[in-house]
Amino acid sequence: MSSAKSSPPPEQGSFIWTRRLILFAFWGVVVVLGLPHWLWTTSIHRSQLPLESMNNWADGKVCRLQYPIHVKLRYEDAGFDETNALAAETQHVLNALNQLPLYQFHITGDLANASSEQALLPSHVRDTLASRENSLIVNIQNDKKIKTPQAALKSLIPVLDVRHNPARTGDSLTAFLAREISKVFSHEQNYMHHLLQETPFESKEYVNRFSPEVKAGLDARTTRAFKYASTYHLTFSLFVASSSPSAWNIQQALEDGIYPLIERLSPVNRFTIDTQIQLYASFSPSIAGPQYNPITREWQLQRPDLSGFINAAEWPLSPSIGSGPTINFVLYVPSKHQSPLVLAETGGQSWIVPQWGGVQIFNPADKQVDQLTAEDLRPAMLTFADQLSTLVGLPPSPSSLSLRISGLTRERTTSLILSASSTLGALSRLTLKLTSIAIPDSVAKSVSETIHRLDQACQHMQDGRYLSALENARTAEEEAEKAFFEPSMVGQVYFPEEHKVAVYVPLLGPMAVPLVLSAIKELKKLRERKVKVA
Amino acid sequence: MKLAVLLGLPATILSAVYAATDPHEYREHLHLKPLPGGSLYAGFSFNATTSLGSYDKQHYRYFPRSLAQILHYTHTAELHLRFSLGRWDEETWGSRPRSGLREGGNGVELWAWLESDAERKAEERWSDLVNSLSGLFCASLNFIDSGKTVRPLLSFDPEGSLREYQAMQERVTGRGQGELQLLHGMLPHEVVCTENLTPFLKLLPCKGKAGISSLLDGHKVFDSEWQTMSVDVRPACHASGTSWECQLEIQQTVDMVLNTERSQRPHDDPIPRPKPIEEIKCDASKSYNGEDTCYPVAFEGEQEWTLSKIFGRPLRASCLASGSDTHDVSLAVPSERTVEVISKSTVSHEGDNSTRSYYLPDDTDFDLHLPQQVLASNQQESETASVHASRQITGYGQERGGMHTTLHNPHPWPQDVIYLESLPWFLRPYVHTLSLSAGTIKKTYYTPLLDRQRGTQLELLIELPAESTVELTYDFEKAILRYSEYPPDANRGFDIPAAVIRVLPGNSTLGAPTRENYLRTTSLLLPLPTPDFTKVRQGLAGLKKLLAKSKAGVNAGDESNGKTMQESSSPVKEENGRPKEHKKSR
Repeated sequence: MSSAKSSPPPEQGSFIWTRRLILFAFWGVVVVLGLPHWLWTTSIHRSQLPLESMNNWADGKVCRLQYPIHVKLRYEDAGFDETNALAAETQHVLNALNQLPLYQFHITGDLANASSEQALLPSHVRDTLASRENSLIVNIQNDKKIKTPQAALKSLIPVLDVRHNPARTGDSLTAFLAREISKVFSHEQNYMHHLLQETPFESKEYVNRFSPEVKAGLDARTTRAFKYASTYHLTFSLFVASSSPSAWNIQQALEDGIYPLIERLSPVNRFTIDTQIQLYASFSPSIAGPQYNPITREWQLQRPDLSGFINAAEWPLSPSIGSGPTINFVLYVPSKHQSPLVLAETGGQSWIVPQWGGVQIFNPADKQVDQLTAEDLRPAMLTFADQLSTLVGLPPSPSSLSLRISGLTRERTTSLILSASSTLGALSRLTLKLTSIAIPDSVAKSVSETIHRLDQACQHMQDGRYLSALENARTAEEEAEKAFFEPSMVGQVYFPEEHKVAVYVPLLGPMAVPLVLSAIKELKKLRERKVKVA
Repeated sequence: MKLAVLLGLPATILSAVYAATDPHEYREHLHLKPLPGGSLYAGFSFNATTSLGSYDKQHYRYFPRSLAQILHYTHTAELHLRFSLGRWDEETWGSRPRSGLREGGNGVELWAWLESDAERKAEERWSDLVNSLSGLFCASLNFIDSGKTVRPLLSFDPEGSLREYQAMQERVTGRGQGELQLLHGMLPHEVVCTENLTPFLKLLPCKGKAGISSLLDGHKVFDSEWQTMSVDVRPACHASGTSWECQLEIQQTVDMVLNTERSQRPHDDPIPRPKPIEEIKCDASKSYNGEDTCYPVAFEGEQEWTLSKIFGRPLRASCLASGSDTHDVSLAVPSERTVEVISKSTVSHEGDNSTRSYYLPDDTDFDLHLPQQVLASNQQESETASVHASRQITGYGQERGGMHTTLHNPHPWPQDVIYLESLPWFLRPYVHTLSLSAGTIKKTYYTPLLDRQRGTQLELLIELPAESTVELTYDFEKAILRYSEYPPDANRGFDIPAAVIRVLPGNSTLGAPTRENYLRTTSLLLPLPTPDFTKVRQGLAGLKKLLAKSKAGVNAGDESNGKTMQESSSPVKEENGRPKEHKKSR
């Protein structure tokens, strides 16, 4: 089959050497210049991250979540020693109760009982002063008329008024106090457990079984409230179905109804407020619209329509500029021929859109009115204030606003610490899993800042300085998010290996093929020659 | 002259409105004016005000919150935004409405006075402003970057009382906001469309559901021969006792010229068709062979039109229930023209026998019908525009070109004009070739370009001699762009923004008008050397094919090996195998 052909004359040795030299020179350039250059240009900068402490935080090993609660006991009719003894006893009973394992109660008697200057001050001033240092003040008074002890919380300041009859009860006052104090913190305790459930921070000693109703309530609270932000923008909008009313005395109404609440919340959040009036607001075409009920002579809005009530396409409810979420409050005035408008089934007029805001229907008594006065708006503003407290996550109980706000501070701090820790854990897993991802120095800086702030937050919380703990936790959470969502890293995540092949093959393939082939050829020849020589 | 008065009427009404001191005012007005050539000019204007106190506290009533928030955030003291389409035909239609103050170059134009204490800060705020407005108006305003931004010195003056406003703000907030800086940007490539009109209408209190804004329908507005939308915000301060009282005014206008015949075509059958022969008025002075064709009589007199037919929807009842004391609609037609009002509204004002004004009814629709009519008096002559301007690109080839602008002064008095060009960086003018055929350049402001960072800004104060035509020319070089800098459809050419021409008020003793006015040239298309982008794709496609084939080859090889092992006894395979062997042996 093969044709016999005379082989070419043998090559001269010097030619072979020249060829090898050329080949060697080419490979030399590739190895000495090309490879280092390629390595240098494609190497990625990975800063050192404190992976161990990040994981420790994520696993909840660093910080034990414990909330010290300072309670001051004031017993005017009892002596100094007696008060202190009662305080010590109550503290012992409370801490041994094991109903509130997350809380560490420190109960002290009010030492400025009789002699100090403070005693001369009016009682509400004393309460305000004391509430700066203490979470709760218990005021005990003797009352000979009652049979069983009674307790009542003041609505604005953290004071628990207790009246008891010393003649009738001897030993049970301690138990009563312990029960009442634990009642004050029971909702918060439940919520904390709900927060900590299924996180590494969950305490092993205490396993709480919530009843389904309690669990549903806690879930609803979480889904309704906004994620914590340092600033919330509040937008109050008057939507009018026709052309009037076209004015409202909103400044006065806000001052009466909303500002007091905002002032109380100001240590936790900042608020900006803007208002607007929108005429000719029509319903979204996706809802059925209100139906006339001839029995009650009312227009009724069906339940399925409530979720689509906000006509997002037409109503200008764009979020405010600047960081922080916008909470919308919509006051809707139906047109004359659809008034009064109420919700079917309940007959109510307001509802909350979770994590968005509140809606309220306003049926003016006088249908011809063109301007709504502050007096008209007062009930609406009170409803809005109530909705606002739900939307910023204020706990529904206890009844004292001050206690609710301090409870909110603790809850928010806890959830921020949880969120920052889990972000740190996720970041550490991410950097370990994606080895080709770059880690800029800014990420390392953010991470170390996060850890520092988390330490601070944890420390301050254990010291009972909740506001500065919240401040630190918030910064920690912001820094952690910044580190995790670093733009240069996000881009790298979606740069798979296949992509690299697709880039390199067309680039290097044409160059590499002759180089490699000629090297192989030369090596083969070398071996043949060696075989021949042998 | 008369027409100028008529077209300027909305402006005068506005100034009357501004004199009113009630904050939270809202006024709207529609001015209608048939133009020669079967066209109809419709000028909508909507004005809302808010007191500075409510603006700072962010309580908004008629002033749109979405826009006010942007102004608040970016510290914008005065804002002018324009969306324009088409060209105002000066020769047929005469001088421009609102003295050209409320129109912009083709596409989008934006200029604003921002408060800032440092250059850098102003640029940051400008960038925030264009980005937020871009979101608000669904336009690509965010493409106004440093390369498209200029800082004109002569061409624009603030309309509002900015100095007093600043003083007031300083007193309220307790700190100075720094100097006011004017920044200006244009996007000639932007196609203005319905998606820009919808957010525009959303800013209005009545949102197109009542009042004159109910006429605005995207299909008709953007089917017009010329159309411009504007948003202007300015502070207005007036002395009250010893102190100043300030308020913020927003004026939104929509001006357009509609072709009456075209707009009145039925919505469901918009294609013009020949009428059946029975409906055509035949010219009887000519002789015909058959019955089925004839010459129609030449059209005479004024065209018939109905307001609701032209805009495709009826004008609904007045916007705000509280009765307004200014007219909502005014119609500028000669007094002989018959006008049928289909509504309860009454003609309130006959004016100087050429303008009729109407109030809108509170609860019913309003319509106007003007039948076809031959007027005894002659056509009113249209007022000549103050200056005619046109601009072209000259030259050929891919390397150089020239700009050629013609400015024509038709009046018997000399006029001063300010000519502003803002050119993209890839058009590099040779300023030494700048020459003027007549007239004189009194002042020149020129900012040279920086590649990829800044465009050219050229501002000239030119005196145009009486009844003369002045040609302004200069040469330029075209830059070569990077591969990634070409936009989609690069072979169409690159849009060069319109030149802004400001005609300064002249010497009134010679009869020149005392009001300044603006006009803009059309935008231009500049062809740049454009690579054949398909080459890259072809290369990639070839490579892909190669890879696919080599892979297919490997696969096929594997397969055939497997097959030969399985079916080695098959004679066909052997036959196929033989030539391969033969080839191999060679």
